[in-house]
Amino acid sequence: MQILIVEDEASLMESMVSYLALEGFRCEKASDYHTAVCVLDKHDYICMLIDLNLPGGDGLELVKLARENQSESGIIIISARNSIEQRVEGLEAGADDYMVKPFHLSELVARVHSVARRTRMKGGEVLSFGAISVLPDEHSCFVEKKPVDLTRKELDMLMFLMSNRNRVVTKESIADYLWGEYGGGYGSYDFVYTHLKNLRRKLQDAGCPDYVENIYGIGYKFSLDKKS
Amino acid sequence: MKLLTKSTLLIATLSLFLFFIMGIIFFQVLKNMSKANLDRELFDLKVLVEDHIENYNANHIIALPGIDSLSIRLVGLNEQAEEVLGDTLMYDSNENQYKTYRYIHFYSVKGGAAYQVKIYKSTNPTDYLVERVTLMMTLMVILFLAGIFVLNRFIFANLWGDFFKAIDKLKEFEATKEPVILGEQDIQEFEELRQALERMTRRLANDYKELKEYTDHTTHELQTPLAVIKSKTELLIQSERLGAEEMKCLEAINTSVNQLSRLNSTLALLTRIENNQFTEKEEIDLNGLLEKHLDLLEEHIGLRNIRVEKHYHHEPIVLFMDQGLADLLIANLLKNAIIHNIEGGSIRLETLPGKLIIQNDGQALGFNQEELFTRFVRDTRRSGNFGLGLSLVKKVCETYNFIIEYSFDNQQHIFRVIFNS
Repeated sequence: MQILIVEDEASLMESMVSYLALEGFRCEKASDYHTAVCVLDKHDYICMLIDLNLPGGDGLELVKLARENQSESGIIIISARNSIEQRVEGLEAGADDYMVKPFHLSELVARVHSVARRTRMKGGEVLSFGAISVLPDEHSCFVEKKPVDLTRKELDMLMFLMSNRNRVVTKESIADYLWGEYGGGYGSYDFVYTHLKNLRRKLQDAGCPDYVENIYGIGYKFSLDKKS
Repeated sequence: MKLLTKSTLLIATLSLFLFFIMGIIFFQVLKNMSKANLDRELFDLKVLVEDHIENYNANHIIALPGIDSLSIRLVGLNEQAEEVLGDTLMYDSNENQYKTYRYIHFYSVKGGAAYQVKIYKSTNPTDYLVERVTLMMTLMVILFLAGIFVLNRFIFANLWGDFFKAIDKLKEFEATKEPVILGEQDIQEFEELRQALERMTRRLANDYKELKEYTDHTTHELQTPLAVIKSKTELLIQSERLGAEEMKCLEAINTSVNQLSRLNSTLALLTRIENNQFTEKEEIDLNGLLEKHLDLLEEHIGLRNIRVEKHYHHEPIVLFMDQGLADLLIANLLKNAIIHNIEGGSIRLETLPGKLIIQNDGQALGFNQEELFTRFVRDTRRSGNFGLGLSLVKKVCETYNFIIEYSFDNQQHIFRVIFNS
């Protein structure tokens, strides 16, 4: 469960390392181009997080190099640059995903999981949490072998919560993850609440215990040992 | 009124007035001169007639050269009076009309008898002369005015040509473009104008560039610290040791930092549009575009029970623009129609060839309508958005020379986008 992080901003690097550690990931750190090249083959990484703006070299070159060396690893570009051209350029260089700074750590984790799933498991994999099982490739969800009919957004939300199990995820991060640019700026995040309420109801109707805990209005926590 | 029209009119009025006065004076002088001339001739004739009476028999003088009509009458010595000069009308049986004559009446004494002599001279020839001269003068005035008209145009084109060129260049000037550069002028006033204009536009362009760079740098430099705050907040939230108070503080920080990063990315987007970084052009179907965005905004529309009425044109309406900017335009217009709607209100979408109309229920603006499309102007009754959405819309419209209009009618906000201008 090794992840390589290439990022020159120490503070941001520490945040990512700490948050990913909570998820059980161990991180290899590199803060410039040359260090990154040196540690590129050190482990068999699940995922590599690469900043494009690096001291000593271009992150895109690093992406290409990493793609050649470790074809099994997922690569996520984390960059302050946010234009379609740059995204396309990054993905063409071999990245699996592109995240624009500033991002939510919970979103980063969800994307790491998703990229890792796509590159490692090659489909056919089952995600499970308590009574819930999700088949991401078939877009289906089961509670104790009983299928639950979820909309695409509800399923995405469930998978996002499962990726961030036992963590507090903020309303903003859910909105940004599911709705992207359409998430913010509406003055309230009530639509997140409405959606989550529907998801919880459907799961409970299928006989699933409620795993969602409301944390002081800031967000939600998805855990088996919910404090009620 | 155009400068040329105005100056031509001014010159024409003034010269007509002057010519009128001058004409009257000229006419009077001419008339007086011809009258004086006639009088002089009459006096000459008087001497001739007196001479004849003196030397010959008065009764035999019938006509002398230069006299149009003559009458000599014997009168009593005591009937004599002063000599008189005057004008009179006499009937001309040949031409069947009255004619004006100048006459002199005088008395001549010969051998104890007095004769009353009346000499008449027709004014016809002199009148004719005055008439001709006046006609010539009028013709010359007309010619002169026509000449002035042509000359004025010619002088105008020569003298003011550079001035008009400067106006054309100024019209084209935008702060986003290069400063106005005019060639050196040989007229001193225009040279001064040129220098002032170049200085001004250079300054404007420079200010604009600096402001843009400033926004550009600021938004870029803010991204990393924002990312740090955001991630540290998220990490802190995970801590098990925090109580409700601390979590409340963290929530406030979290909300604010998210707003700030949204603001920052919108400003960066505005700058990117200004820098013309969206140059890809492709054909986009407007109806399809609207449907796509309505789909993406489904949750927001449903949450407030907003009804969407669609009046699409039966044929596809094709826009030729950057996909990203098209998305931005429609997304922000629809977002605006949702945010400023009322609970259970409606959104009416109408597409026509080259035109999009988005109408939504809502309350009247809490600020001046002219400020609607400017940055950071928003309804203070609402929080959480920065009022940047419509300035994004305007920026996109400016990029493609679309026209965007707003009106508020019957509790409805109406936005019209006219594409083919």
